[in-house]
Amino acid sequence: MMNQRKIADYRQLAEKKDEYLKFEGSQAITWCEGCGNYAIQKALERALVLEGFKTSDVLFCFDVGCSGNGSDKIAAMGGTTLHGLHGRVISLAAGAALANPRIKVIAEAGDGATFSEGPGHLIHAVRSNYPMLFILHNNENFALTTGQASALTRKGFPMNGSPDGVMTDPMNACDFVLGLKPTFVARSFSGDINHMTEILRAALRHNGFALVEMLQLCPTYNRTTSSAWFRERIQFLKSVPKTIEAARKAAADLERHINLGILYQDTKSPNFLERLPTRKGVKTALVDEVKAYDIGKLTAQFK
Amino acid sequence: MNRTTLKIAGASGMGLLSVGKIVAGILKGMGYHVHSDREFPSLIKGGHSNMQIDFGLGPIRSLSMHTDLVIALDRDGLMEYLGAIREGGVLVHGFERHAMIRDLQETAKKRKIRLLYLPAHSIAKSLGGSDLMVNMVLLGLMWRVLGFSLKPLEDATREQFADKPQALDIDLKCIRAGYQAKGLKVPQYKIPLPKYKPKEILIDGNMGIALGAIKAGVRAFYAYPMSPASSILMYLANFSHKTGMLIKQAEDEITAAQMVLGSSFMGTRSFTATSGGGFDLMTETVSLAGMIESPLVIVLAQRPGPGTGLPTWTGQGDLKMAIHSSHGEFPKIVLAASDPKSCYELIQHALNWSEVYQVPVVLLTEKTVCEAQMMVDLESSPKIPIERGLVTSKKELAALKSSDRFKITESGIAKRWIPGSSATGYFANGDEHAEDGVVNEAGPLVAAMAERRLRKIATIKKALPDPKVYGPKKADISFVGWGSSKNAMLDAMEMLTEKKVKVNFLHYECLWPIRHEAFAAFHKANPNIHIIENNLQGLLADILEGKSGLKFKGRLLKYDGRPFFRRDVTDYVEKNI
Repeated sequence: MMNQRKIADYRQLAEKKDEYLKFEGSQAITWCEGCGNYAIQKALERALVLEGFKTSDVLFCFDVGCSGNGSDKIAAMGGTTLHGLHGRVISLAAGAALANPRIKVIAEAGDGATFSEGPGHLIHAVRSNYPMLFILHNNENFALTTGQASALTRKGFPMNGSPDGVMTDPMNACDFVLGLKPTFVARSFSGDINHMTEILRAALRHNGFALVEMLQLCPTYNRTTSSAWFRERIQFLKSVPKTIEAARKAAADLERHINLGILYQDTKSPNFLERLPTRKGVKTALVDEVKAYDIGKLTAQFK
Repeated sequence: MNRTTLKIAGASGMGLLSVGKIVAGILKGMGYHVHSDREFPSLIKGGHSNMQIDFGLGPIRSLSMHTDLVIALDRDGLMEYLGAIREGGVLVHGFERHAMIRDLQETAKKRKIRLLYLPAHSIAKSLGGSDLMVNMVLLGLMWRVLGFSLKPLEDATREQFADKPQALDIDLKCIRAGYQAKGLKVPQYKIPLPKYKPKEILIDGNMGIALGAIKAGVRAFYAYPMSPASSILMYLANFSHKTGMLIKQAEDEITAAQMVLGSSFMGTRSFTATSGGGFDLMTETVSLAGMIESPLVIVLAQRPGPGTGLPTWTGQGDLKMAIHSSHGEFPKIVLAASDPKSCYELIQHALNWSEVYQVPVVLLTEKTVCEAQMMVDLESSPKIPIERGLVTSKKELAALKSSDRFKITESGIAKRWIPGSSATGYFANGDEHAEDGVVNEAGPLVAAMAERRLRKIATIKKALPDPKVYGPKKADISFVGWGSSKNAMLDAMEMLTEKKVKVNFLHYECLWPIRHEAFAAFHKANPNIHIIENNLQGLLADILEGKSGLKFKGRLLKYDGRPFFRRDVTDYVEKNI
């Protein structure tokens, strides 16, 4: 079944070769050899093309970090890219998504940005269910600043700035998000480009805030959780857990049996814009609506 | 120019806002010019609060230092405000044990203040009213002192409490009891009645901003509540069913600023409002906006700092912070409003200039500007058409290259288009970049880009208006100022003109880039030149002296959390001519 699917995908990609190439940038790569960022970015490009997106249909938003250094390597022709501040990409992207929901907004950030610098933004974006895709590049360290520990770094392993290793238990990203009434949570692994593509396709189709955690290889600073380490532990969920409790159970283990797949999805919950009583039935987007307005009716109450 | 000043004083939670609203509303309805403002502590209940209403036949821009008539809703008000009443003024109160306050009778007698006491508590109780209705009894009595007829007061009360019929019934009884109270020697003012109704509306500065923003096509407002900016959120949210504007109360100020930036970048109009502490949090976002050259408009409603400072008081202490904050060297525009009308106009300019020049714009206001209710005629405001500086024609959009976005130009400004409106890619990069947005760290291009961005300053400065001069060309004493000091200054100038003292005043609304040459010219023509600022050091004075090399003769500074009164100005003038 998987093979048939793969073949069909490759055929489609071949047919849409021109669109695919438009997503590819021409800038020199600055990631380390073996970095998971390559595969993640390629999987995203494939997923976009297979879901019928053109570069002009998408806004890529990047945070500061190794993942952020992918900002000039994608969507060279016809796309729009926004490279913002550390830890703040989610709010920046949300503002863009609300202004023009016709354009698909994709935000990416690392574990350091998301869980150290800016967890508040993640929390409220999940609750608000902004219509956007958020890819969490979890390589379990602050790689760009040369390997400090992050809130997701495992205990006990020496890191830059923590020579004795961290003394605090790491957070579990998916479990944390599952406590916030999310509408889409999924997990994949940078060593499996096909799985990532499939997950990202589902995330792109989701109406609301879709979080995809990519467990990402970082051969330079995270020697512990290597490719071999992951291959011994990852397993694929056979079906999507039906409740939050079941999802949290499935997400809990990051040591022995790491579950990959869609952990939870709620397709019924309206996205942020759809929840607003003041925007009910409005067919235009905020970007269409900038013009002079008459305030006469509003000032009448003061006369 | 004659004006009558009322003060309604009491603890927070005693209903003094309701009373104040009724009174201001009736006076305006009768045709008076009204100006009102509140003093209140950072509390929800208790503490000491008052609302002052100045009214008269001509424009009133600032509050008087002294009042004619005070109604004190509780004990603290009695002694506290006695000092603020003019000689011959009236104090209306309902505090039963006033005889126990020795100082009260003595002080009142010495200053010829007439004390009017009514057992308002027992009256209200006997009519079935709660403690809150004590103020209604006193209001009725105050109304009689003012010499006005009862009907407009009853009508206004009916309107105010239309949705509370049971309370309304008792309120009306209380008002009548106060008005018709027997056994009192009630002094009565003979206040000249207005002959015509001014066409202005009575609103505060935050309402001016809200209305201006709606008019200028703002479609998304993101904000975190912070005194004194919070009511902008409330006003826009209350209007949102009519306007369809997206209102989001963000979880913190950084989120608010980031969402505004994202929405503005994407091509709609947006802004946020905060105070000094909140703006501190937004400064990194301002820096990002400076690098990606996206519009970003922030209203900074000042209150005294540092730290938490005085959340519910006023000042002008954040000017330098607004201008110089945010790391890196890049242009921004700083404006300052002084009253509801300039709030209404400057927010529209801010939105235009942020888009056209692609720089962050900070619009400074102050607590007194945000919350003082003033009469304004918005219809007489000049029409400010929307200007966005965007590439919009199909032909031009089709011809764009991604290197057009940050092209090195003479003016410093490159082409900007709405993402998605052109097939051409667009890379807005927070890192230093080449003309097409791709990361660049090569020396010569880094320097060229920095220079290009800074070249905008000259372009902007040329386009901004000069500060305005009020008063005669030659004067006995001259002042320079910005923001709300204009209000007390203009009121004081009226008084001083009657005394044959000539004063002129140079008022800045555009604080950065600053057209200091206008100051130099004013300085040359007016040697007895002083600065008036509601801050500790004279921040604008420092900037103007630094830029021009010229010095002020003196600095009229006020930094006790209160706005300037006419008296502050006239006392200073007396000492300096």
